Amino acid sequence: MNPFRESHALHTRRQFFGRSALGLGTAALGSLLGRDGFAASPPAASRRAVPGLPELPHFAPKAKRVIYLFQNGAPSHVDLFDYKPKLREWHGKQIPDEIAAGKRFSTMTGNQTARPVLGEITNFAQHGKSGAWVSDFLPQIASISDELCYVKSLHTESVNHAPGISYFLTGSEQAGRPSMGAWLSYGLGSETEELPAYVVMTSRDKEASCGQIFYDFYWGSGFLPTKYQGVAFRGAGDPVLYLSNPAGLSRKVRRDMLDDLAHLNEIKREDFGDPEITTRIAQYEMAYKMQASVPELTDFSQESEATLAMYGPEVRRQGSYAYNCLMARRLAERGVRFIQVMHAGWDQHRNLNTQLKIQCQDTDAPSAALIRDLKQRGLLDDTLVIWGGEFGRTPFLQGKIEDTKGWGRDHHPYAFTKWMAGGGVKPGISYGATDEFGFNAVEKRVHVHDFQATVLNQLGINHEKLTYRFQGRQFRLTDVHGHVIKDILA
Amino acid sequence: MPPAPLRLTRLLTTVALLASAPLSAAEIDFSRDIQPILAENCYHCHGPDAPARKGKLRLDVRDAALAPAGSGYASIIPGKPDESELIARIFSTDPEEVMPSHESNRKLTAAQKDLLKRWVAEGANWGEHWAFVKPVRPEIPKIENPKSKIENPVDAFIRARLAREKVPLAPAPEAPPAALIRRVSLDLTGVPPTPAEVEAFVTSSIENRESAFENLVDRLLASPRFGERWAWEWLDLARYSDTNGFQGDPERTMWPWRDWVVNALNANLPYDQFTIEQLAGDLLPDATQAQKIASGFHRNNMFNGEGGRIAEETRVENVFDRVETTATVWLGLTFNCTRCHDHKFDPLKQTDYFAFYDIFNQMSETGAGGGGGKLPPTLDLTTDAERQAVSAATDKILVVTNEIDAYEQQKYPRPEGKLLSESPEALKFPGNLFATHAKVAPGRRDLNGLLEALPYFRDTVADPAYVTLLERHIAAVRARDAAQAAITKVMIMDQLEKPRDTFVLTRGNYEAKTDVRVEGHVPEIFRSAAPISAPASTSTLTSTGASRLNRLDLARWLVSPANPLAARTEMNRMWQAYFGTGFVKTAEDFGVQAEHPSHPELLDWLATEFVARGWDMKAMHRLIVTSATYRQSSRAAAADHERDPENRLLARGPRHRLPSWMIRDQALAAAGLLVEKLGGPGVKPYQPPGVWEEATFGKKNYLQDQGDALYRRSLYVFWRRIVGPTTFFDVSPRQVCSVRTSRTNTPLHALVTLNDPAFVEAARVMAQRVLAAPLADDAARLDHAFRLTTARPPAPAERAVLTRRLGKLRADFTADPAAAQALAASGEYQRPASLPTPEHAAWTTLCLLVLNLDETLSKE
Repeated sequence: MNPFRESHALHTRRQFFGRSALGLGTAALGSLLGRDGFAASPPAASRRAVPGLPELPHFAPKAKRVIYLFQNGAPSHVDLFDYKPKLREWHGKQIPDEIAAGKRFSTMTGNQTARPVLGEITNFAQHGKSGAWVSDFLPQIASISDELCYVKSLHTESVNHAPGISYFLTGSEQAGRPSMGAWLSYGLGSETEELPAYVVMTSRDKEASCGQIFYDFYWGSGFLPTKYQGVAFRGAGDPVLYLSNPAGLSRKVRRDMLDDLAHLNEIKREDFGDPEITTRIAQYEMAYKMQASVPELTDFSQESEATLAMYGPEVRRQGSYAYNCLMARRLAERGVRFIQVMHAGWDQHRNLNTQLKIQCQDTDAPSAALIRDLKQRGLLDDTLVIWGGEFGRTPFLQGKIEDTKGWGRDHHPYAFTKWMAGGGVKPGISYGATDEFGFNAVEKRVHVHDFQATVLNQLGINHEKLTYRFQGRQFRLTDVHGHVIKDILA
Repeated sequence: MPPAPLRLTRLLTTVALLASAPLSAAEIDFSRDIQPILAENCYHCHGPDAPARKGKLRLDVRDAALAPAGSGYASIIPGKPDESELIARIFSTDPEEVMPSHESNRKLTAAQKDLLKRWVAEGANWGEHWAFVKPVRPEIPKIENPKSKIENPVDAFIRARLAREKVPLAPAPEAPPAALIRRVSLDLTGVPPTPAEVEAFVTSSIENRESAFENLVDRLLASPRFGERWAWEWLDLARYSDTNGFQGDPERTMWPWRDWVVNALNANLPYDQFTIEQLAGDLLPDATQAQKIASGFHRNNMFNGEGGRIAEETRVENVFDRVETTATVWLGLTFNCTRCHDHKFDPLKQTDYFAFYDIFNQMSETGAGGGGGKLPPTLDLTTDAERQAVSAATDKILVVTNEIDAYEQQKYPRPEGKLLSESPEALKFPGNLFATHAKVAPGRRDLNGLLEALPYFRDTVADPAYVTLLERHIAAVRARDAAQAAITKVMIMDQLEKPRDTFVLTRGNYEAKTDVRVEGHVPEIFRSAAPISAPASTSTLTSTGASRLNRLDLARWLVSPANPLAARTEMNRMWQAYFGTGFVKTAEDFGVQAEHPSHPELLDWLATEFVARGWDMKAMHRLIVTSATYRQSSRAAAADHERDPENRLLARGPRHRLPSWMIRDQALAAAGLLVEKLGGPGVKPYQPPGVWEEATFGKKNYLQDQGDALYRRSLYVFWRRIVGPTTFFDVSPRQVCSVRTSRTNTPLHALVTLNDPAFVEAARVMAQRVLAAPLADDAARLDHAFRLTTARPPAPAERAVLTRRLGKLRADFTADPAAAQALAASGEYQRPASLPTPEHAAWTTLCLLVLNLDETLSKE
């Protein structure tokens, strides 16, 4: 071997592994997780570990990251947040035609002629200085009402789950567009190079009563490059697929192997001049780092008992909603941009009386604990937390009024509630209102695209300007719609 | 504003490389130079979309653009830029006046403004968008003083373009024979050459380079592996999958359609026939079974059978998907915009969309019944064995449910003949269990209900005997479901006896029919003076005769000379597969917003050549791979990479990471594991446990196959649409038509090829292969391992690295016998007991390293 050549190769290899993460790896890292041409980005952008678009943010952001607690299946707004005394007054009576006539429902009640109003199945009370009405099924969320902004006038077009969820996450009812997290990693880059910029975690009700499964297009990158798609952490075993070395291959042997691999790739790069090889070397190095950073992420041993207790007894069970909420905080601390926690089990078509309460018990404490935990660590200010589903549930009954055990509510796109916290959103307010049956959003209506425009706004993005050229057209998350809800901004 | 980053500079260099600098060049080409500026900046408000048009001005049509606009001024007066309102507006500094307006978020560069001014001054020559004009066969360029004789017209076009560079770029020399055989083997068959094949080719190249290469290409084109390799891209655009997608994600059996594609490619079915049979095989006179199967192309779409779903909504969405897929594949047009409104940029109207829609709206599919994967109309190919398997599995359920019935009678007493719901205990059942378990006799309970029952009786009631019975019941139901799912019924197309009326739908909403009725036709811009011939076969199927086209008419039109785009789009995709990028970078969009082709003449030459050769696909593959352009070395100076980072001008050979599915096939081949068996139902190789279960709440469990099925080609891996095979990355999600996939690099990809049991086992078996070969020493064995993936021996520097590592690995594994034992045992393939485990583990690690070399992962 040519000794000069060898020493040169070794020197280069040392550069790779000896320097900081933002050292030699940067050129390659740019094209790895962020955008092409990272090496050349101006210094301002390199504060981000992996930069996004040079023109972003469009203005000073209020939030650096988003935690979306997506409640799949559609929580019943009229039993949880949207208190309507009228419902009990009208209980069992046909809902007035002027409210409900001509509306489209799923086929489960679309052909049902009797639409008796169903009073809320539990009791409401006012909470905090803001006096927000919250159901007694959600005592912990109720107790942090002064941190929350309830948006009560949401509406959508979708009456089915998958299109409805897609609509909120991708701006389109049809599967296949980039999801919000993909748009944000594309636009804003990443604050971490040891974890993915966009992480998804899923859970479901323990009783396994619901059938709403998770499709990977809920976190797809659509027409954006696939590197922007969400990485779905698994609910059992290694959170990241293929994270562990094969049995019998130690971390030390892996290190040696990767050193040699880098060395051989470096020889190749010198010979062939292809800068892609530099990217390859960095890619393997990042994989090695991720093998260490992910286990550290999931190690809760340094969490205090008080913190763990706050999230509730399920917090140590991998794959539970409580576990995922605590993970969300840990991911937020480590610079992950978009954390999508999805919990299924809210689709009470015929088990409202038996299941809704259990569902609330599973999710109430962890959701509230996350807000408190972020706040006590000073992270709530620049973290936008969102809680809610894809639509609401009908104020009228699905099923028979005499069969209390089989009571249910069908899908309802015309009005529902979500809440937000942190990230520059006004705390302790309720925004918008529905009619006296909770049927139609009537005051300060908020459409899916308005909601998305507002989320992007909090991250310093003009939703009309974050676009991507595909099929000869500039696409964006909000299609050609969307208005920022200025009144809820702090 | 921060200083312009280098990225931008690099981009500009590239652009300059591609556009032929019209500012200094003599001639302005409307389609290449002017229309893209107008389309990007003006058509949004002054384009084909009439309702959105402002100031009554349209700039996409010559007569309209030259006529006086609403304001009274003429926008464009040829030869008189100073009197043309368009020029005045774009140069205006008045914020009220300037165009594009501030609200549009668009801005012209100084160069663009000057160009438009010069264009008007020179007479505002108009032209049609190149892609909408029939390709005219260009002259083959004459290269002056070529260094070597140019035999292949492809090279003449490529070199002519290189010669136009101000600082000329010289083509790279031919790649060494070993590199060449690896490249062309991967490209044509998707598997690497064996060391023996490499050696034979290198030897014969010494005698006669040209004939050696041509013989090699002919051998590869004749290999059954050819059809398997080229089917992949077709499956991507056909959104092929083994399940429906959405709720329940039921299995379908479309694999006979997939096998039809492989066979058609291997048999070299001409592309026009290939098209017609897939779009309308069922409508051909005396359609054969194979032709009916081929028509399954348009049954590969997703199907939303979610509970509560309105059937008509699903049906309409499926028709949309068929319309848009057809337009993408054979027209290179983005038709989906026109579902809701006239196109903003291309001359496509909403009525064009629904005229196309009418053609696909004449099928018996109802949109209902998504619970099962094989939705009518189907072609029943059920075998007796499949039927017997179902009946045997059903009998087994009966045995278990009888036992359950007896147990429940005793455990939950209630009057004779009454259901479990009559027992007081049943009132305690949570969730849906009262409805799904108590009120349903054991023999009629479904999987969903049983899966919900299991945790309750296990954790809350704690009745182990009953849980065992339930588990047996679940297993029996799963076995019956699997047997039913395996019944082979291919979804195909059919045609309604009485045509369905088609109306334009407002914003594409299935229930918002307008009163505008349309009949099957191609988009207006393609309706030439010559009438579309109505083949005799269709007359009985369409009541209105030739004026209303059906699918067969459309299929024939698509591959007729009247369609300017069928050959171009296919040639562009072929080029993209070889060189990484098509002539038109946006393979899915040839419209006015698309980047101008890198080599417009070559694209048109290939398109016309394709038709002239009777749509002979193998002939075109042969033409491309035998070109000097394809055979160039991919080694280049850093400066050349800098200058043309994407290699659009092709002054060097292609070099990029292989598709992930091919990386897996290559690893299997290198290990000698690859099973060369054509066709059949999808296989389930290694996958981490619980992936399907987690995604489907336990309703679908992944039963990994064993033996040969683990080592079949990636093409045959079972594709569950809602959670695709985990061993692949950067693949189309197979949800909608995809003609171009990403090529990205993330750490997660590296984890696959480093840790996926498929790769670890391949490394382990590759080590066995190396150690079993009659080789003298470590150096020879290292050479062999290296050759298995890269087709070349390591250079001395490389060999030194590997040799040193081998020694250390031997020490590592000798010191840790348990680790050695574990690594040497990875995977299910047999292992010779005589092989010492430390030695085997050391070589396994080394082979895994070789399988992860950049060169191995790349086509070079």
